[in-house]
Amino acid sequence: MDNNIYAIELENITKTFGSVVANKNINLNVKQGEILALLGENGSGKTTLMNMISGIYKPDSGSVKVNGVPVSINSPEDSKKYGIGMVHQHFKLVDVFSAADNIWMGTEGTGLLLKKDRYERISEISNKFGFDFNPRKIVANMSVSEKQTLEILRVLYYGAKIIILDEPTAVLTVQEIRKLFDVLRRMKAEGHSIIIITHKLNEVMEISDRVTILRKGEYIDTVNTSETNEQKLTDLMVGHKVNLNIARVETTFDRPLLEIRDLSINNDEGSKAIDSVNFYIRGGEILGVAGIAGCGQKELCEAIAGLRKVEGGQIIHKGDNIVGLPPKAIIEKGIAMSFIPEDRLGMGLAPSLSITDNMMLKNYNKGKSILVDRDSARVKAQEIIDKLGVVTPSTETPVRRLSGGNVQKVLVGREIDAGPNVIITAYPVRGLDINSSYAIYDILNDQKKMGVGILFVGEDLDVMLALCDKIMVLCHGKLMGVVHAHKTSKEELGLMMTGAKDISLINGKVAGIAKDSRIEETKEAEVE
Amino acid sequence: MNVFASFIAALLKYNTPLLYGTVGEIVTEKSGSLNLGVEGTMAIGAIGGLLIGCKADSLLIGILASFFIAALCGLFFAFMTVTLQANQNVTGLTITTFGLGLYFFIGNGFKSAGKWPDMLQCEGFLESTKPINIPLLSKIPFFGEAFFSQSIFVYLGIIIAVVMWWYLKYTKPGLRIRSVGENPAAADAVGINVTLYKYIHIGIGSGVMGIGGLLMAVNLSGSFEGSKCWIDGYGWISIALVIFAKWNTLLAILGTFVFGIFNTLQVFGPTLAEKFPGVLGWLNKIPPQFMKALPFVITAVVLVITSISNKKNDQPAAIGRNYYREER
Amino acid sequence: MTKSSKEPLIRVVKRQGIKTWQICLLYLGAVILALGIGAVLLLFLKANPFEYYEMMFTLNTVGNKMAYIQYETYIQELVPLLITSLALSLAFKMRFWNIGGEGQFFLGALAGAAVAFMIPTSANVFLTIFLMVVAGSLVGGLIGLSTAALKVKFNTNETLFTLMINYIALYIMRFFGETKADWNIFLRPDSERPKFNQIPDNAKMFTIPIGKFSLELSFILVILLVAVVYFYLKHTKQGYEIAVVGDSINTARYAGMKVNKVICRTMFMSAALIGAAGALRVSSVYALSDTISNDVGWTGIVVAWLAKLNPIGIVIVSALITILQCGSVVASSNFSNVDSHFADLLQGIILFVVLAADFFIRFKIVFRKKNTEKQSKEANV
Repeated sequence: MDNNIYAIELENITKTFGSVVANKNINLNVKQGEILALLGENGSGKTTLMNMISGIYKPDSGSVKVNGVPVSINSPEDSKKYGIGMVHQHFKLVDVFSAADNIWMGTEGTGLLLKKDRYERISEISNKFGFDFNPRKIVANMSVSEKQTLEILRVLYYGAKIIILDEPTAVLTVQEIRKLFDVLRRMKAEGHSIIIITHKLNEVMEISDRVTILRKGEYIDTVNTSETNEQKLTDLMVGHKVNLNIARVETTFDRPLLEIRDLSINNDEGSKAIDSVNFYIRGGEILGVAGIAGCGQKELCEAIAGLRKVEGGQIIHKGDNIVGLPPKAIIEKGIAMSFIPEDRLGMGLAPSLSITDNMMLKNYNKGKSILVDRDSARVKAQEIIDKLGVVTPSTETPVRRLSGGNVQKVLVGREIDAGPNVIITAYPVRGLDINSSYAIYDILNDQKKMGVGILFVGEDLDVMLALCDKIMVLCHGKLMGVVHAHKTSKEELGLMMTGAKDISLINGKVAGIAKDSRIEETKEAEVE
Repeated sequence: MNVFASFIAALLKYNTPLLYGTVGEIVTEKSGSLNLGVEGTMAIGAIGGLLIGCKADSLLIGILASFFIAALCGLFFAFMTVTLQANQNVTGLTITTFGLGLYFFIGNGFKSAGKWPDMLQCEGFLESTKPINIPLLSKIPFFGEAFFSQSIFVYLGIIIAVVMWWYLKYTKPGLRIRSVGENPAAADAVGINVTLYKYIHIGIGSGVMGIGGLLMAVNLSGSFEGSKCWIDGYGWISIALVIFAKWNTLLAILGTFVFGIFNTLQVFGPTLAEKFPGVLGWLNKIPPQFMKALPFVITAVVLVITSISNKKNDQPAAIGRNYYREER
Repeated sequence: MTKSSKEPLIRVVKRQGIKTWQICLLYLGAVILALGIGAVLLLFLKANPFEYYEMMFTLNTVGNKMAYIQYETYIQELVPLLITSLALSLAFKMRFWNIGGEGQFFLGALAGAAVAFMIPTSANVFLTIFLMVVAGSLVGGLIGLSTAALKVKFNTNETLFTLMINYIALYIMRFFGETKADWNIFLRPDSERPKFNQIPDNAKMFTIPIGKFSLELSFILVILLVAVVYFYLKHTKQGYEIAVVGDSINTARYAGMKVNKVICRTMFMSAALIGAAGALRVSSVYALSDTISNDVGWTGIVVAWLAKLNPIGIVIVSALITILQCGSVVASSNFSNVDSHFADLLQGIILFVVLAADFFIRFKIVFRKKNTEKQSKEANV
């Protein structure tokens, strides 16, 4: 094959969703045996662009060439035929199938019957690519990184030469990322063309040959990685100079506001999601929670908010045990919980209802009247729209119609407006662009200054290291230790997240118990 | 024929329609579609199959006709829900109302024109509905006559159930349709034509229901009443039996006939009461309306019991939700 | 490997910002299209569609001296359908698939009739009707409540459970209608064959004479009910809870709502209203029968859905559907070659076409552009 011909080449691709232009005249190309990083903020149109190559969306205009030949990709089937494979950010796997069946279902010419030898045939291929992999394992029982390996193996098995990975590192630990990058380098050496979508600059610098930058759906530039640096890339990506540092606001810590002692919680399947965990949050402090996706974060948040049964242990708020209280009573105590799930709308907001109606969600029941007070909710909605710059046609627009960032502003705005003393926030910047993310960080820092205790469940370790005062690490529901953010490193956190390092017991002392605990206080009170 | 054999014969004869309905609905639901139009689909399949079968004086043509006419209903359901993305519950319910409307419309039309065929006069058709003795097996004392001397519908129903079980479990198209029902986005991403697979399996599923409808018509000697449909709720019971059978067509055979024991009392109760007046004499004292209501009572009870005992949910994950590729 | 597949001729794209008048126009077009399909069917049956539709839509009242009877029948049919549709919309708003309207209606009617037969005939009309409605709604409501309780406690499939109750209720009704016995107060004592008795005069619906036409009390009640339901859903805390629970159960729990209580309460109300409709129906038609529901449990689902669960929409749609039903009964008595089940067919066709029209509200179809066609030709070379 001629080396001057691009493996894949996009010219002037445009895609609109209704009135929103997701991609505008985008150009992109990848050579054989090259790793191209597709860089851009959340909402800049990276995934949309890649979904057009993989046949999920159809471009409004523009052309796609594979190996120099113009093609029309109308479905994922076409895309597969042209040797393109995509590893989606939200894995497209059938949970109840084995790994092998997830691959087998898309194979062509492998016969009508399902034979036992499919497991061996897939094992062979996976050994060839150097994966350690059990083809009989059911996807539902796999870890995130195993699922990702399966997705990669699947596109390789289908013979893809052009491989797209959408934010592959978002859910991995530092150690797992290193392993993934080894795989990518080996694939590159074998002549595969790789497009990796990311917004993490250090990874771009480490793995890619060239970088294509998108901003707000528009093509900005393509540069050679060796001729650029992180600051230059940031400027291209954001469009104006930004300060990459999140300021950690120094405050004087108060006494513990919320203390968790020996807390155990079950997940929906009835197995332990949180196992004898201790920690505490002081007023004016941000405590980060780090951990691989699905290791108990959701259950922890739900338990504190009273939405999930506690199997054992205590949750002490200002000296009162709140275990067993109904959610309403916990809200009234000033504990606000905002959990942003992957679909962003699952908990905390009613998507079909208007912004106004969502404002009254937590206090609609105040007062004796049987009627709802929509007027004051409308005033509050307008306040939050003005204060946080929510882009919306009116206060009566259903939340579902807003873009991701605006949805989150509405949610966080409402939570803070209630004047809480403890904020539990999980993934508050999920899917937001840099400016919106910083707006959220500022809001949290403001609250911290006002003496509010904040539990911050996050994904991005860089952000957590900069924003949080302390970070506690969970691994399979167990506490691995609590570390000071300015004294630790990503590597240390990564080791703790995978369970390789456990500092939950130092000198026989359990981590996460405050010296001036209020729990002892209550116990004494009980004795009297 | 001994009592046991005739009870089993009645059990199979009157409950095999449920097997068709259940197997058809399982195939449909495995593709991720909840078709609540079973009642209507069976009614249309039944009347179409009977009219055409009697006209041609051939049961085989009747069965084929009921299959294809019902399959058309299924394809229409697929068109509404897969292509036009309409709500599955509402579309299914409308197919039932529309189907029953069409059933009475056609039936009354033929009847008032004096053209309603008398099934009992269609000798070729009627002859084929008689029990077939399976050589050797039917000679087994006691059991043989009970199990191996049945009408073609019983054998065909069991064969379809077994074949569907094998197809869904051990073939690649079966694997693919299961993936569509579990996670259509995943199936789409690996290049499976989700729309085509859904159309085909909803069509086949509805076709199978149609044969069950024809059997109900045959069981009632094909006589048309202006006020009551042949299917009379069996379509709905079939949908409930899907849950009981845990979306497994092999278990559907077991489930249908275990359920059928109660159902058969409706027709067989008097005989049993006569034979065993000491033990089962009370069967005669139950008002006929309660006997008729029995299958529905049992179904309701079974629904509650399975929901209490069955914590693990076997239903296809994507059931009831329409798939649109460009959803964001 | 580089063989290109041709771009499909049409593809479907999500539509945004459709205007209200466009939606109305689309629905109107859908109904006209459905009537057009019906017209073809009528032609096939050798009936003149224009004459048929004219008779149907005017209920044969033009130049008819007895027109007021048609209007009375119309109101009599409209009331139960309207109540049932409103009631179902409460449950549907919560995404609770109550398709047991038939059963709740039957049992409500039985309870209402039981009160009518048992209360002393000297009792006041209003008191009697009131007690009938209370009995009907209690029986209906308790069935609804038990369905909801099973749903929240064990996650029992409410669709199928309510359906089974439909059939059970039907056979209970038949049992009372076909069993001759001393205790059976529902039957005529003077008849040898079992036959439902007429209710005493003090249980018969109170009417307000307007000229020859007499207006049922229940019609005034139902108009009040529409206003109450509208206000309830829109402005009360309970209505707000229904909206949130229907939208996202997780969010409702998070907001501190007692979701199970909301579901049980709403389902009780929904079924109680349907039971009340059954009792009112008995009072209005004077006797029980196993066809007393006139399929409102089914038609109500269609009405609620077509009206997008909006109370005002429900008034409009049920008014139209009742015209369709009453009208085709009238028309089919004048057109011997058209069966009265034609109404069911037409209703089905209208719903299918309107469901299809929904598709064009949410999506639009884009045809393949010329330049891309050229492009794919190039690719084929």
